[in-house]
Amino acid sequence: MGAAFSMSSLFGKLFGSKEVRILMLGLDAAGKTTILYKLKLNQTMTTIPTVGFNVETFTYKNIKFNMWDVGGQDKIRPLWRHYYSGTQGLVFVVDSSDHARIDEARTELHRIINDREMADCLLLVFANKQDVAGAMKPHEITEKLQLAKLKDKLWFVQPAIATEGEGLTEGFGWLSDNIKKMPKYGGK
Amino acid sequence: MMASTDQPVYIGRTNSISAFVDDTSGGHRRSVSAIPTSRFAVDNTGKSQPPPRPPRSPQPVAGVGMASNMDRISDSSLKGKSASTNTAASSQHSSLSAPAPRPRYDRSLRRARKPRSQYPRGGTESHVEYILVASFDIDRGPIMEHQYPVAITGDEHMLAELMLPDQAHVRTQDWTVFFLHKDSSQEEDEAERRAKEERRARRRRRRDRAKGIIHESDDEDDDEGDFDDDWDDNESTESEPEGGEGAPLVYVLNLVNTKQDKTVKRGAVVKAMAICTRHPFLHIYKPLLLLALEEYFKSPAPETLSMLFDAVNEMDLSLMPKLSLLERGLLQASDNKDLFVEKFERMIQARIAEETGDDVADQPLDASRDPPKRPGIYRTGTKAHIETQATYAVPRDTHEFESKVMYKGIPIPIKVPVAVMPETVGDFSLIKLIQNFSDAHAKSPQTFPLHPHLTTNGPTTHPIIVLINALLTQKRVIFLGHNMPSGEVAEAVLAACALVSGGILRGFTRHAFPYTDLTKIDDLLNVPGFIAGVTNPTFELHPEWWDILCDIPSGKIKISSKIEAAPITEGLVYFQQQNPTYANLINGTSSSSSSSSSAGDLTGDAAFMADILKSISTRAGERVVRAKWREWVLKFTRIAAAFEETVFGASALYVGSDESETNVAAGVSSGHGYVWVDEATKAKELAGNVTRIEGWRNTRSYYSFIQDVAQLYTVRPLKGLDLAHLHDRLRSQRLTPTQSKEIYDALAKYVHTYDEICLLLSVAPESHAGLFYVALGLFHKDRDVRIKTAELLDRIAEHEAGQHWWRQLSRFEKLAYVRIKREAEQEKMKGENGLNGFTPVDTKRIS
Repeated sequence: MGAAFSMSSLFGKLFGSKEVRILMLGLDAAGKTTILYKLKLNQTMTTIPTVGFNVETFTYKNIKFNMWDVGGQDKIRPLWRHYYSGTQGLVFVVDSSDHARIDEARTELHRIINDREMADCLLLVFANKQDVAGAMKPHEITEKLQLAKLKDKLWFVQPAIATEGEGLTEGFGWLSDNIKKMPKYGGK
Repeated sequence: MMASTDQPVYIGRTNSISAFVDDTSGGHRRSVSAIPTSRFAVDNTGKSQPPPRPPRSPQPVAGVGMASNMDRISDSSLKGKSASTNTAASSQHSSLSAPAPRPRYDRSLRRARKPRSQYPRGGTESHVEYILVASFDIDRGPIMEHQYPVAITGDEHMLAELMLPDQAHVRTQDWTVFFLHKDSSQEEDEAERRAKEERRARRRRRRDRAKGIIHESDDEDDDEGDFDDDWDDNESTESEPEGGEGAPLVYVLNLVNTKQDKTVKRGAVVKAMAICTRHPFLHIYKPLLLLALEEYFKSPAPETLSMLFDAVNEMDLSLMPKLSLLERGLLQASDNKDLFVEKFERMIQARIAEETGDDVADQPLDASRDPPKRPGIYRTGTKAHIETQATYAVPRDTHEFESKVMYKGIPIPIKVPVAVMPETVGDFSLIKLIQNFSDAHAKSPQTFPLHPHLTTNGPTTHPIIVLINALLTQKRVIFLGHNMPSGEVAEAVLAACALVSGGILRGFTRHAFPYTDLTKIDDLLNVPGFIAGVTNPTFELHPEWWDILCDIPSGKIKISSKIEAAPITEGLVYFQQQNPTYANLINGTSSSSSSSSSAGDLTGDAAFMADILKSISTRAGERVVRAKWREWVLKFTRIAAAFEETVFGASALYVGSDESETNVAAGVSSGHGYVWVDEATKAKELAGNVTRIEGWRNTRSYYSFIQDVAQLYTVRPLKGLDLAHLHDRLRSQRLTPTQSKEIYDALAKYVHTYDEICLLLSVAPESHAGLFYVALGLFHKDRDVRIKTAELLDRIAEHEAGQHWWRQLSRFEKLAYVRIKREAEQEKMKGENGLNGFTPVDTKRIS
């Protein structure tokens, strides 16, 4: 599975794929940085809290992803808006085992999605940490995040275990397929 | 461990941010505003520090050891303004020093200038004002842990954000620099005013006491204060422009460490410690921060901060002499390691005298008696110094004062720059900055979209010139260093400030954010024209936030697609009307401009950059490169002055009195300003510069320059003469013997005092031809000119700084000097034989 990612950077070079900008957000300790480096390096890194941001570029399914991972602590969330402009896909990462903060996650997600600059972007939600006992299932996450409320928005919830790399391919598969359909991408 | 002296002291990088804090003095609470107050210009209330206090031993020690031979300055020249600036007074001097050979041992006429310390002992100003510690809390983000001795600001959060730069988590260590804008509050102004009155009252009381009037309030304390006043012997250094637009900035040097730690939640601890100082040489504290932050990881308590605070504030810089602006300029531009070494010696002598209890003051200065023997003063590190284990030593290189800080019993050696020019903050390299943005350009020249303020040499204008144009015309400039330590972008910002300032223009560091991030973006965008360093590539995606973006890793400079167009200004229109033949050469004004302006290097910038790059490749060194940029900036200001005079008929960029009666009466070749070979050359160079000059007018640096020019004029020697102009004419124009005679006569007539000679040296830097053009007067066909020039050279050779210039003089010119002196001597002998009793007094005494 992971091999597809590391090989893909070669394809990217061969076919000169277009670059899409992806913004990955979520509360602190949701697993954003782990996902980023699993995708980029196919390695499980022990991550420490992100001061500011991380950004990496990798290619998957002939699409060059320029993916931004921005720190999620309460006080630095107001900075998220500076990353909106030009973003084609939002990856929102949720710690499925964190029942206490799922409402907080919902509030943040809706705040992002309702921003004018994010109107056209795709939404991929990773219901992360499925390996933790008592983790909410994807349908619970869908419900708690009130995704049904979102009109005119393409969204998808993907269960995942970032440390194992489980669910990431599927999630990015959905993202790639839909990106190719976007008019901006010159898709059909 | 971290003990040894040649530690990883300078390995770190600086990385910075500016924030704006306005606060009040002492322990009061301050509120932080991230917006720079628009109060620039005019007020000089910023001087919140008390005037530097002198070392305790007030008496100058006249001539000991080396100093006795070198330092012979006419006393009246020291007594400042009136004597040195009034041409009538200085022409009297000429009668003193005129009757040739060297007045070697004429001590009664010349006495050592009292040495003054930059940072006197017992001064009220601390080296370091605050120590801060912040950390990245895994739940909350950046938080402030401790502030010592008191809280610097109420808005801890803002400071904590500044202390934890983006991506601190990906490196184990990073440096940041940021500036805090401390507005002097009403309270402070009040305090300052009171302090002034206090000083005045003290002076009054002292005068009264001298007359025998006793005040009841007289007490011991008064005496201490009296020293302050006594030492203000040289007012010019006091009134030199320093602060600029308000309170001095608080510079913050910050070190961040990220330590992986399995035992803590989420596996790492990120902590930062910062030192807040008003010294621009904040980089000297790097080794101490390394030690102290390490210590803090072990014992995270306020005591760790107080230990550092006490250690750095005990650093003794009291033997570092204070230099005047002219002297600082000379030292900065010179590679000579001995320049002004006499001042260091005098500081030490004064100190030794003080410690041994000698009261030199009571001994009349007697030329016939040698001063008492004192322990020798040696250079640091020399054999003699080590063998004698002398307590005091002069530095190996007078550009750096050597001191130490005792931290936990370990002596940490510190080198403090002696001469710091305005807008020079921290440690940076112009060479590095220039190379960074020249290499990519050299490989494949960048083509810029045209902008009249920026692309003064057309689409292929050198990127560094685009950068300096952007800075001059107050654009929003961003340095981006993605994946770089934030310290590196900070260094680039600090270098850019120094580049455009040249030590001449100001107002850049005050609007610089050596390192900043998204948290401060809203405040940043409120600043009209800034220089900011960032590591977050998001900035590149927002061209509406900046006018030019300098990408450090690629070495490319981008002009924003959203940059505001340059307005058509009056000056531009007038210039076109007045110079129709050259109007089409002005860049960005006609369709053909791009080709024509790039074809001819009207500004001379292409040649200048080629020269700079050549200097760099031949390893000429940082000092030379800085000196060359300083000249570029100086030239720009002089061209701008010429432009304003041409177009508007007057300019505030030059203050002088060409028309002053003394000059006219004296028949001095009047004239001032930049010198061109001919009018056509002038018109072309002006045409090349019109747009950026027009862009510069109305900027902060333009207005503060006008202020500085006016203020400097009040303290400057030789107000009626533009020495640079005279020297440039000698250098670049073909002059008739009569014309050059006028110039040599003027130099010989007016350049006498210490400050006047400093001024002359500053327009004839060693890095150029030194005294070459001045000394050409030795070959003038008029004998009188030859003799006067020789006498002028005598005075220069006697001068503390001038002696080094004299030594650099070519052999050829020295021989001419000797010949002329000999001839003059013989003439005089003949004359003496003929006219017995008419020998001038001075000559008698000397012989």
